[in-house]
Amino acid sequence: MYTILIVEDDTKLSGLLHSYIRKYGFDAKEVESFDDVMESFKKTKPHLVLLDVNLPKYDGFYWCRQIRTYSLCPILFISAREHQMDQVMALENGADDYITKPFHYEVVMAKIRSHLRRVYGEYSLGHEEKKTEAGTLVLYPERLLVTYGKTGAELTQKEAILLEALMAKEGRVVSRNQLLDLMWADHHFIDDNTLNVYVSRVRKKLKELGTQMAVETIRGAGYRLSSEAGDSI
Amino acid sequence: MKLFWKEHIPLLLFYILQMALVPLLYWLTGEGRPFAIVFYGILLSTSILAVYLGYRYLSQRTLYKQLNSPPALEGEALQPMGETPLAEAVYKLFGHYDRHYQEEGHRERSRMDQHIVFINRWVHQMKTPLSVIQLMVQELEDTAADSVREELERLRKGLEMVIYTSRLERFEQDFMIKPTALQLVVNQTLAENRQLFIRKGITPKIQLEGDWKVSTDPKWLQFMINQILINAANYTADTGKNVFIRAYEQEASTVLEIRDQGIGIVKEDLKRVFNPYFTGERGRQYHESTGMGLYLVREVCDRLGHKVELDSEPGVGTVVRLIFGKDGPLRS
Repeated sequence: MYTILIVEDDTKLSGLLHSYIRKYGFDAKEVESFDDVMESFKKTKPHLVLLDVNLPKYDGFYWCRQIRTYSLCPILFISAREHQMDQVMALENGADDYITKPFHYEVVMAKIRSHLRRVYGEYSLGHEEKKTEAGTLVLYPERLLVTYGKTGAELTQKEAILLEALMAKEGRVVSRNQLLDLMWADHHFIDDNTLNVYVSRVRKKLKELGTQMAVETIRGAGYRLSSEAGDSI
Repeated sequence: MKLFWKEHIPLLLFYILQMALVPLLYWLTGEGRPFAIVFYGILLSTSILAVYLGYRYLSQRTLYKQLNSPPALEGEALQPMGETPLAEAVYKLFGHYDRHYQEEGHRERSRMDQHIVFINRWVHQMKTPLSVIQLMVQELEDTAADSVREELERLRKGLEMVIYTSRLERFEQDFMIKPTALQLVVNQTLAENRQLFIRKGITPKIQLEGDWKVSTDPKWLQFMINQILINAANYTADTGKNVFIRAYEQEASTVLEIRDQGIGIVKEDLKRVFNPYFTGERGRQYHESTGMGLYLVREVCDRLGHKVELDSEPGVGTVVRLIFGKDGPLRS
């Protein structure tokens, strides 16, 4: 069980991060007193620190240097400043990475994972690689592979993004805009028609696997991965 | 020299009067003097006067020169103007004004600095509540949450605009020119604005094959492309339209062209699009834009030594071109 220390003076933000990190199976601790962050650090012995730059008393850079004299654990700065100088300062003061506000959970989580993996080894996160499961269907997005029982099918990157989104919300509708959003985030700037093409390719691959699961079109709403073959169009 | 003569006209007139007065007096008392003597006297005192004037001119030459053509005001210290009492007095007076305005300038600058610091701090403080709201609605899935996310996006963009506008004031310490890949910056900017584009149903068509690199500051380039893309999206009314982004060579420059299929700009407004706070009819209708985007783009281009051009046809669309010099900025 990995422990992550959250050093953020905004209690709400700190609390939100806390509960989210817990949801992902890590242990999280919030610093209560900013007079002596080191005290909390020594007490919790965290594997990773999320550190805000603007803190009461001393700033994050100061605490970063303090922690560095004591431990080599990954330190990620969370800050509203996106000024290059600040980022340079952060890295020079011994931080490993930098997240700017406002941020998405996924970004924070992805960075936490990658730094834990880097420091504590590839297989230290309790599972070998990221995988998404829906029923008997398993997707390995890093390997672009989907398996059903003993059979497997290779996917393109774009198909993997789509399938992952559908599997993550199995039985619920994923809107077209959400799917487009995910594609665009990965720099595939596709339009509605192209999205249709990719969805039909994903359908074809699921059929080839022989699974009962199918991607249904929900008119006016989006797509849904169902365990029963629906009236696909 | 002209000023010197103008200055001494009364003296000369007075002198001529005096020169006439003495012979007149002799003539009135009936003491006839030969004309040559009189003329000689006049000549003698005229040459003394000439010597005096010459000396006067030489000793106050700097004063006259400075009075006639004021030195460039930029960063030049006040020069002494000569040794004469008048020159020293003028020098002192100027010095007094000079100090006064210097101090005023300093005060004004430090006020401006403080204001910029305040604005920056304030914007950064606002980002924490923004993060909190964003995290709170991230997990929700209904139309209300979508709408909140949309407004958050607007807030974030607005804050960014404030930051960059105040950064413009301190531009000299805030840029680093390096070879920058256009494709990467364009992709990042589009990914950042994806919500806006997807919501509006606008698809970008990118033609940046090959290795298009330009010498610029990536952060400011991204800011400029951001502004142009936001405009393109905001001023496109119907769904199913495209934004075309391409790069090409043109006379030793690289051009990045962003063409939308929006409502376009009427001819009489074309001149004004780069003015601050200019929004045009549609901007006012929809409260979509601050009218600062293109103004800031031009300001940044000026500072980085790039050029920006804009063509538009109402009902067809608008083309914005950023033109980058081949070997770095067009001017250092």
